[in-house]
Amino acid sequence: MTALTSIRDLTVTYRRDGTAVAALKNIGLDVVTGERLAVIGESGSGKSTLALAIAGLLPAASRIDGRIEWPGLGRAPLGGRDIGFVFQDPSASLDPVMPIGKQIAEVARTHLGLTWPQAYAKAKNLLERVRLPDPDSALLAFPHQLSGGQKQRVAIAAAIAAGPKLLIADEATSALDTIVQAEIVALIRRLVAEDGMTLLFISHDIALAAELAERIAVFRHGQLVELGATARIVDAPAQPYTRALLDAHIGLDAEPLLNRSGLAT
Amino acid sequence: MSLLAVSNLTKRYRRGGKSIAAVDDVSFHIDPGETLALAGPSGSGKSTIARLVLRLVEPDAGRIEFEGDDFLALRAAALRARRARLQMVFQDPLAAFNPRATVARVLDDPLRIHGIASRSERPRRIAALLERVGLAAELASRAIHEISGGQRQRVAIARAVATKPTLIVLDEAVSALDVSVRGQILELLLDLQRQERIAYLFISHDLGVVRAVAHRVILLDAGQIAESGDARAVIDAPRSAIGKALVAAAPRLHGTRR
Ligand SMILES: Nc1ncnc2c1ncn2[C@@H]1O[C@H](COP(=O)(O)OP(=O)(O)OP(=O)(O)O)[C@@H](O)[C@H]1O
Ligand SMILES: Nc1ncnc2c1ncn2[C@@H]1O[C@H](COP(=O)(O)OP(=O)(O)OP(=O)(O)O)[C@@H](O)[C@H]1O
Ligand SMILES: [Mg+2]
Ligand SMILES: [Mg+2]
Repeated sequence: MTALTSIRDLTVTYRRDGTAVAALKNIGLDVVTGERLAVIGESGSGKSTLALAIAGLLPAASRIDGRIEWPGLGRAPLGGRDIGFVFQDPSASLDPVMPIGKQIAEVARTHLGLTWPQAYAKAKNLLERVRLPDPDSALLAFPHQLSGGQKQRVAIAAAIAAGPKLLIADEATSALDTIVQAEIVALIRRLVAEDGMTLLFISHDIALAAELAERIAVFRHGQLVELGATARIVDAPAQPYTRALLDAHIGLDAEPLLNRSGLAT
Repeated sequence: MSLLAVSNLTKRYRRGGKSIAAVDDVSFHIDPGETLALAGPSGSGKSTIARLVLRLVEPDAGRIEFEGDDFLALRAAALRARRARLQMVFQDPLAAFNPRATVARVLDDPLRIHGIASRSERPRRIAALLERVGLAAELASRAIHEISGGQRQRVAIARAVATKPTLIVLDEAVSALDVSVRGQILELLLDLQRQERIAYLFISHDLGVVRAVAHRVILLDAGQIAESGDARAVIDAPRSAIGKALVAAAPRLHGTRR
């Protein structure tokens, strides 16, 4: 098991109105080649910052200390080619004035050296793989003509278009219904199993993270509080914070919050 | 009398040379103080219904009655006045606000525009609104981009309740929040509902959340109502094919699929 990427003593500091905010503090973490690793933790805990740091996409005004190495690659990664990134906000990944077929084809053309017709055929195939209904008409659609979940699937298609070594999905399925979510999970599993892809999956949905990932990393206040095999984290968390996160999950068997007697209907 | 009564609502869109019925002959009602959830697969028409109810888009056919009036017939001034009573909170509050505006400014606007409080009274109202949604008063002077996602969603709710609405449309309003903040915001919404009898049209993919907060649920499929009823009854034992598929596909924390 080699590490695709090896993170050592990573500290990331943002500057805000002249003050420095440490968003990540002394993180040490290996992302193993071919694994599915989930990152969970409360809002503001540093999950997106970690993802951006790995992808080399942090804003210029941030300060990065520590090392991010790529033993599994043997060289520095090329953004877009080696790393596919699905951003937390799907509209952030999509150009509002370009038909979506062209946006996906462009990724395939640039990084895989395909001709435009080949790249369009690839784009259509990708839209089928993310289960977008009616891919022919979707190729010609603009982002505003798609529903929230449809946009999110387009963003996933664009992120995997170049066959990346590492797929980073930051809250990439929060706008998807459970059926499409399950299909995307199956697609990601196939990409990992068949194409040797590695997955870094960030989600507020702990049940979904548990279903998809082999290991889970728990973040809080910019620190890695716990890392382990999914079953161990879910069934026997070592940290009280992890326990609290699990308890806050509202599952299908949760006690209703609604006090029915208090409401007249 | 229903607070909101929607009958035979239809909205078609053209896309890539084809016409699709995003919403196809949908009827439902919401009572005062009630939470009606809309769930269903991606593209089934949930957000389109939200936009139609808010009159952000106009239907091709159908009727919407709000507080007893023909809502689609309201024009300009009458519509503006009525909008104070029909508010919305969407998934991404950052997209709904000017990120450089301060929290105080975001809350001042509705109070001023709808003439709810005089200039001298407004700072006190804003402080009270922040307190209602559990935010510290000193947050008022911060810019929207300087607060966290969960805090922003609270500001969006404070803005929505500022005008004393009878109905709030929430489209995936808690989907992007972490579990602890999500729980707090759901509790807040239920408190407001108990105190002021606000009704919610609650759109969410999260069936666990729908089951926990909604009185009734409508499951949509391809623009049509596939199934509706008591939220717990429907989600615990769905009858429609789409309901069964949605529930079966929901992830379980301990892998115990029923
Ligand atoms: N561009 C930025 N400038 C200044 N501070 C930032 C910036 N981006 C993030 N932060 C701060 O860094 C911390 C970590 O943010 P990050 O976005 O990594 O959290 P997260 O775990 O992804 O949260 P969420 O679940 O809400 O997406 C937060 O306190 C946040 O306010
Ligand atoms: N402006 C538009 N132009 C063309 N088609 C549109 C437009 N808005 C929505 N649609 C289409 O109408 C259908 C319903 O979309 P809507 O946004 O209501 O779905 P939704 O149920 O909210 O889905 P999601 O769960 O993914 O947000 C989709 O097929 C969508 O592509
Ligand atoms: Mg984030
Ligand atoms: Mg929608």
